Amino acid sequence: MIWFAAINPVLSPMSPQARALSNVFEVTLAVCGVIFLIVTGLIAWCVLRYRMSDPGVEPRQSGGNSKLEATWTLASVMVLIFLFVLTVQAMRISDAPMDREPDLTVIGHQWWWEVRYANGTVTANEIHIPTQSDMLVRVDSADVIHSFWVPQLGRKIDAIPGHLNHLWIRADQAGQYLGACAVFCGAQHAWMRILVVAQSPQEFGEWNAQQAPPAKAPSTPGGLRGEHVFLQQTCVGCHSIRGVNANTQVGPDLTHFASRQTIGAGVLENNAADVRRWLTDPQRIKPGCYMPDFHLTGSNVEDLAAFFETLK
Amino acid sequence: MNTKQYLLSAWNWSPAVIGACVAASAAYAAALRFRFPARSWYFIGALAVFFLTLTSPLNALAGGYLFSAHMLQHMLLLLIVPLLLLLGLPAINANPARRWQGFRLPTLFGWMAGVSAMWVWHERTLCELATRTETVRIVQIISLLALGTVFWWPLFGPQARQRISPLTGVVYLFSACITCSVLGILITFSPAGSVCPIYLHPPDQPGILSLIRHDWGFTPAKDQQIGGLLMWLPGCGIYLAGVMAMLARWYGAVETDEGAATQSTQEERPQLVPARATARKQ
Amino acid sequence: MNSTSATISPVTVLAGAPAERGLLSWVATVDHKRIGILYLVTTFGFFLVGGVEALLIRLQLAVPNNTFLKPETFNQLFTMHGTTMIFLVVMPALIGFANYFVPLMIGARDMAFPRLNTMSYWLLIFGGLLLHFSVLTGAAPAAGWFSYAPLSETPFSSSTGLDYWIMALLILGVGSVAGAINMIVTILTLRAPGMTLRRVPLFVWMIFINSFLIIAAIPVLNAAIVMLLIDRQLEAHFFLGIQGGSPLLWQHFFWTFGHPEVYIMALPAFGMISEVIPVFSRKPIFGYSFVAASTVAIALLSFGVWAHHMFTVGLGHTADLFFAAASMAIAVPTGVKVFNWIATMWGGSIRFTTAMCFAIAFIIQFVVGGLSGITFAVAPVDWQMHNTYYLVAHFHYVLFGGTLFGMLAGLYYWFPKMSGRLLSEKLGKWQFWLAVLGFNLTFFVQHLLGFMGMPRQVYTYPDLPGWGAVNLLSTIGAFILGFSMLLLGANILWSLLRGQPATDNPWDAWTLEWATTSPPPAHNFQSVPPIRGRRPLWDLAHPSQTDAKNATATPPGESAPEKNKALMIVFIVSEGFFFLMLVIAYLYFGRTPGAGPTAASSLNVGRTALFTICLFASSFTVWRAERGFKRKDRAAMNGWLAVTVLLGAVFLTGQATEYWGMFERGVTVNTNLFASSFFTLTGFHGLHVCIGLIALLIVLGLTRRGEARDFQSPALATVGLYWHFVDGVWVVVFSVIYLRLLL
Repeated sequence: MIWFAAINPVLSPMSPQARALSNVFEVTLAVCGVIFLIVTGLIAWCVLRYRMSDPGVEPRQSGGNSKLEATWTLASVMVLIFLFVLTVQAMRISDAPMDREPDLTVIGHQWWWEVRYANGTVTANEIHIPTQSDMLVRVDSADVIHSFWVPQLGRKIDAIPGHLNHLWIRADQAGQYLGACAVFCGAQHAWMRILVVAQSPQEFGEWNAQQAPPAKAPSTPGGLRGEHVFLQQTCVGCHSIRGVNANTQVGPDLTHFASRQTIGAGVLENNAADVRRWLTDPQRIKPGCYMPDFHLTGSNVEDLAAFFETLK
Repeated sequence: MNTKQYLLSAWNWSPAVIGACVAASAAYAAALRFRFPARSWYFIGALAVFFLTLTSPLNALAGGYLFSAHMLQHMLLLLIVPLLLLLGLPAINANPARRWQGFRLPTLFGWMAGVSAMWVWHERTLCELATRTETVRIVQIISLLALGTVFWWPLFGPQARQRISPLTGVVYLFSACITCSVLGILITFSPAGSVCPIYLHPPDQPGILSLIRHDWGFTPAKDQQIGGLLMWLPGCGIYLAGVMAMLARWYGAVETDEGAATQSTQEERPQLVPARATARKQ
Repeated sequence: MNSTSATISPVTVLAGAPAERGLLSWVATVDHKRIGILYLVTTFGFFLVGGVEALLIRLQLAVPNNTFLKPETFNQLFTMHGTTMIFLVVMPALIGFANYFVPLMIGARDMAFPRLNTMSYWLLIFGGLLLHFSVLTGAAPAAGWFSYAPLSETPFSSSTGLDYWIMALLILGVGSVAGAINMIVTILTLRAPGMTLRRVPLFVWMIFINSFLIIAAIPVLNAAIVMLLIDRQLEAHFFLGIQGGSPLLWQHFFWTFGHPEVYIMALPAFGMISEVIPVFSRKPIFGYSFVAASTVAIALLSFGVWAHHMFTVGLGHTADLFFAAASMAIAVPTGVKVFNWIATMWGGSIRFTTAMCFAIAFIIQFVVGGLSGITFAVAPVDWQMHNTYYLVAHFHYVLFGGTLFGMLAGLYYWFPKMSGRLLSEKLGKWQFWLAVLGFNLTFFVQHLLGFMGMPRQVYTYPDLPGWGAVNLLSTIGAFILGFSMLLLGANILWSLLRGQPATDNPWDAWTLEWATTSPPPAHNFQSVPPIRGRRPLWDLAHPSQTDAKNATATPPGESAPEKNKALMIVFIVSEGFFFLMLVIAYLYFGRTPGAGPTAASSLNVGRTALFTICLFASSFTVWRAERGFKRKDRAAMNGWLAVTVLLGAVFLTGQATEYWGMFERGVTVNTNLFASSFFTLTGFHGLHVCIGLIALLIVLGLTRRGEARDFQSPALATVGLYWHFVDGVWVVVFSVIYLRLLL
């Protein structure tokens, strides 16, 4: 089952919304499959049965039959009406009316996701939700059009500048659910992945309580040096770390960077070695991304990495 | 008030509508001398749609509550009722001796009639007036029926010789479809209430408004969007069906392999020859 | 053929054109057959380019986290692959086939306007070269073939690649529209006696309908990309998501073009299949009128379904549902066609030539693409599968498995007619089976990638379970498919060098192109056989069993219009769609006026009304000039023409005054959306007035020089029509911009 979910998230729904989508998809596929079998069956019959045997003999020259035409026209209309009714039902379940303020806002950037919770928690690329509860997500864009898509949890919806969208996501079970940006948005569209972490409401509460406050001051000497580098170098020109004097919101907020699982919207894992690789030359890892190669010295990289490890 | 109560109570047994139906049936039966061909079903259909459009709760909703209901009514009266009516009419053999029977409206006139009925009545002031004032509303209904008849006349008029050629008919319908799509698109994407502001704040009789807004979920924006989309897509569907009928007539007009299947129905019409003309022939 | 057509009243036998030889004769040719071949050779060249691009894409995606290509390169490759395949391969190849065979199938000597036809072809070359020239200037466009704004706007795509893309598409669009107009006029005016519109081969009918789709859809694209160009070059912000600009409007405009475009690429292939299947089943097409009418239904419906490309942008359930219904509706006429093709084979006597094999594969693969299309019409499924590899699989099944297989069927069917030599059936069968295997391996597995959650247009992907293996399969399939296309090239070369010579009618087919030699002489026919039905050659061969037994001896007259007037009317329709989009844009941006100048604050209604009267009066004067022409009254004609030119010039002066006043108050094309849409709309109208004035001046010059001495020239009537159109557009523009201010 886990294997099937990994290989086929679209048909392994984990929420009522996604289940409505996968149900209507399964029925549609079945209907289409039957139609396909009928058509190929008829063609196969023609191919086998009506192969030319005697080139001299012309078959009967029949030019049409209006009753037959009416029959297959009506039959296809009936099938489509059936599918349309399913469409209406599935839309209602999977995309219920939005009647309250959103629980969180997801903002697409070239090429990462900013995630803002109602209580002030700001994170990036990794969305935590409590299980068994409908979360209303507002989807916005800071630059070009992106699309928010986590197949196991619900529909996909585009993030369009100047046009706010909303969707429900929900996870029935705790776990990690993968998603991605689904509208071509430029050079690094491929690395604009989404990770949704569904936790029990209690764990979610703990996570949120830990994420909301500003960062604690680093205590290790490396961390202190790293903080200094962060503020002296150009890092601070793009990234904000609440609690440190860094408030520019161009790049992802790094306040609790160390608690995240990935770097660069999924391009690397967040571990000691990969953080160093990323800092050494982000353009080699994610060519075209807006973080330039600052040609940091080896010791700068070490200090920064030490500082980031403290941002739990 | 719940939906069921509303749907039961909102009927409007207007004597004028009933009277019009009765009079039309009587005239029709008299003209056919009570021998009804199959195409009379079209006539019955026309009467039924006409009657339901103006007496059912649709009419009540159209009168100030729902723009979309108004649009549905508008389209039924303009496109469906006159079309069914014309299809239900018996064929008329033109009598060359009578000049008025040879009279043929310019094609462009029919087209303008159909298109302007769509555009003019959705001009903001007129739309307001027609919803507010009973007299204007009656004028609107009659004009829709009349303009619709004029619009369909060159395509489905009872005199075969006066109809335009099927391919011209395709162009006629397609261009009409485009204009009405453009209007539909504009209505769909305009801010709520910009077409007919009266639907923003309907006069609330007890409970009806909350029924519409909450139980049925019609916000003014959604209401106008549905109205625009109704005119745009199903509206075009009607024209498209007309195009298909034109093509059927075109392909049916010559003998083809398909035999009589696509033969147009025009030959099935019973001949209604004016009494005096028959006498003169004999 | 000549012996059998002895009983026929011979159509004028034209003296053979001077022998055309050498390379230069190909450059200078106006012969529809040579232009058709040029189209096909050119598109084959572009097909190789687009194919190599596809193979590079597949190589990059063969394994996860691949670094074979840089992301920018990959993005340029798929943008160019899409643009090339659509605008430089499928569309022009279909036009190429139409160029060669439509005149032959209707028994005409050439296209209605051979030189216009040549122009269309050379615009294809120039457009194609311009598009690829962007590579030399630094970077090819990299915003996908649909160039979604705001990604395609200067802040996010600052290189000139996109400007080249826009210019190339404009040039290609002009060429396509000119070609389509030519097709329509040819089919309307040059059909041989007896070839009524109800009897034309289905390929001709589909090209006819298709040409209407082109003249309606391409101007919509032109309007959109012109606005994008104004954004990029003149700093307007139609499609930027700031100050009221609307990225969604780009999508609406683009798909209003884009969905009909899908059918532009499909209908001619349907036409080819409708020729190939009957011939190799030895039966007439089943339900001719249903196949023909369903084409019209598809063409009309295709304009009402574009928003199914936009189910994920959040238009709301209401709009989604209406468009879901419309999109499902379009499946009905398409399904009708499929059933008619199968019914044609049913009870036939099928010969499995390579052409027929490709036709059968076409039906099956097209059905797969059509059925996955239905799943997209179910909006909630689209909410999951939109922009995944499932979508990539879907449209490749339609465009490659469908259209391209259809074209291959057409190529194997018609090649003997074009070259005079048969293609090798043995190599053909090899190619067929390799193409079927390669195609289905490449694209069927991409459905699975969609289920796995792989978005399209990604240059690489993480190593998730199964992704690498399936992608590798797809890449292997792509190379098999590529190899099969090399076999096609080899087959063509082999056939040209030592192929078996083809007879006039190697397949024993029934339409007129087989009634002449292979290849046909420059003037096409020595004599056109009598046409009393849909299969003239069948009727000739089976006099006792003709299709035409019921047809009337003299078919009901479908009077042919004068060709210059027809050309102008069709052109006007096409221009009408262009202006329609600009008017819609003006109204769209006018619904929520932003800050800055508005129509009410910037425009002078009274003054413009005066100048408007001048323009309307010029419609009257040009009509008087035409009347003078008809009465052979030179003085009246010249006089009224001069007055017309004067009135036109006065109107332009009025427009210039209006513009000048606005410039003085600092209102220019990039001030706000009112100004941008106002200047775009009135500017394009002014441009058309200028062109009309130039045309009128040319007519005036010609008549003064006495060129119209015999009063036969259609020039004045044609230009007059155009002038009325320019005035007609102003009626709409004036009401929309100025009269609305009075309400």
